[in-house]
Amino acid sequence: MLRVEGLSKRFGGIVAAYGVNLEVHPGEILGVIGPNGAGKSTLLNLLSGLLRPDAGRIEFLGEEITQAPPEVRTWKGLGRAFQIVQPFPEMSVWENLMVGALYGKPGTGLKQAQRVVEEVIALTGLAPKAQTPAGELTLLEDKRLELARALATRPKLLLLDEVMAGLRPAEALEAVELIRRIRASGVTVVFIEHLMPVVQALADRVVVMDYGQVIALGHYDEVAANPRVREAYLGRAR
Amino acid sequence: MIAAAILLLALLLPSLPLGEWRAFLLDTAQFAFLTSALALAWDLLARSGQLSLAHGAFFGLGAYAAALSAPALGTLPALLAGGLVAALASFLLGLATLRLHGMYFAIATLAFSEVMRTLVLKAQFTGGSIGLPVQPAFSGAFPLGSYYLAVAVLALSAGVSLLLSRGRWHYAMAATRQGEAVARVLGVPVVRVKLLTFGLSAFLGGLVGGVYAMKTLFLSPYDAFGLGRAVEALVVPIFGGLYTTSGPLLGGLIIVGLETWLRLRIGEGYLVIYGLVLILAILFLPRGLVGLFRKGVGRA
Repeated sequence: MLRVEGLSKRFGGIVAAYGVNLEVHPGEILGVIGPNGAGKSTLLNLLSGLLRPDAGRIEFLGEEITQAPPEVRTWKGLGRAFQIVQPFPEMSVWENLMVGALYGKPGTGLKQAQRVVEEVIALTGLAPKAQTPAGELTLLEDKRLELARALATRPKLLLLDEVMAGLRPAEALEAVELIRRIRASGVTVVFIEHLMPVVQALADRVVVMDYGQVIALGHYDEVAANPRVREAYLGRAR
Repeated sequence: MIAAAILLLALLLPSLPLGEWRAFLLDTAQFAFLTSALALAWDLLARSGQLSLAHGAFFGLGAYAAALSAPALGTLPALLAGGLVAALASFLLGLATLRLHGMYFAIATLAFSEVMRTLVLKAQFTGGSIGLPVQPAFSGAFPLGSYYLAVAVLALSAGVSLLLSRGRWHYAMAATRQGEAVARVLGVPVVRVKLLTFGLSAFLGGLVGGVYAMKTLFLSPYDAFGLGRAVEALVVPIFGGLYTTSGPLLGGLIIVGLETWLRLRIGEGYLVIYGLVLILAILFLPRGLVGLFRKGVGRA
């Protein structure tokens, strides 16, 4: 579905991504883990088009999108939710979602966009907050809005950047359920996460990054047992 | 509603019994309409997050282009030409400023204004620093010609402003203003939104300049490209209420009315009071004049 070959990006002397190869299969949930500064968010920014790579290529649904601007990737079905929630603060929750619904797919009319928003709002449990200004939401609601807004663009593949960060365990569990429901509706998910129980519960496969490189890829248990991973990541965390 | 009422009143004003003040009132009203229209044009661009100091230049370009082409083209095509020249200039400026935000964008547009004024000042065909006489609207066939042109430009600006404050465009512009990177990731064609609003805003600014030229019958680079006009274009919407149609519309009428009244009453030094009123308004009416009437959540 998504194929990444030799993707590299440096910022001055810092190599944020180096020769990253990755393949995302349709329908899976792929977790991306790694210590702070491993290049996870850079990878997501490269995939969503906010950064352009120095080298390598990205292919989505058989089309090369390496140089495509972010909005074009969204139109093709590559959705993105941000780690630091950035709602449009002067808009209500409803209006925030309308932006994604109207512009996520070219040619969407107002009526159709409203139907999309209604669906997404029901799925994410934001209905009671529909008319609340986005600047007045709690963190959990903010995170839901971030997710809902990405869903409103009707992605085939959804990139999630630490959508659980800052949530309490019970809230994180709720979010896990939500992501499962999203996958069940036919959306492939790639997510960055720090909370290991969440990764274990959600991910079909796990990618481990360190110093901008992919150092392991596989099922959670395999990856967790990998000595290189333990050294780079799990070991350091203990 | 407010816009429709004001426009109706503007149309009827010349036929009301205004007594000995008639000519003065109509002149003042006409300048107020042009001020409101320029403010509406500025506000349009501000909705997409671009705070311009170039609206004096768009006004000036429109004024000069209309003045220079009017003898050959006639009044209405000349006005159109003025708008198009301003729009073209804004397109080129917009391409250069696409990646700039906030203060940096404002500074770039200020520099653009200065360059434009210098060019007009130094050129031969514009009359340079001596200035440029302009023929009246419709060669003076209708005494109220330029008055009704001002009403028409105001109606057009208010109409465009209302149209773009709802539906798809409202969402695209507000999203671009409130979070450009996020807007792009949600599929908003940000570059197109910014360039189109820039072009439209400058076009309207150019029209205003053209009508102004046909009213004052004389242009000088200092007047037409003055920084004061660029500042007024942004003060009026802030005073009246940003990102609204009735805000810049009412704001222009009130500010020009107030300024004229103060100048009559106080004469020299009226600007002190005028400035004080503006400062107080901005301090105590953070959402502008129209914010007074709209409690709760405003439309984004």
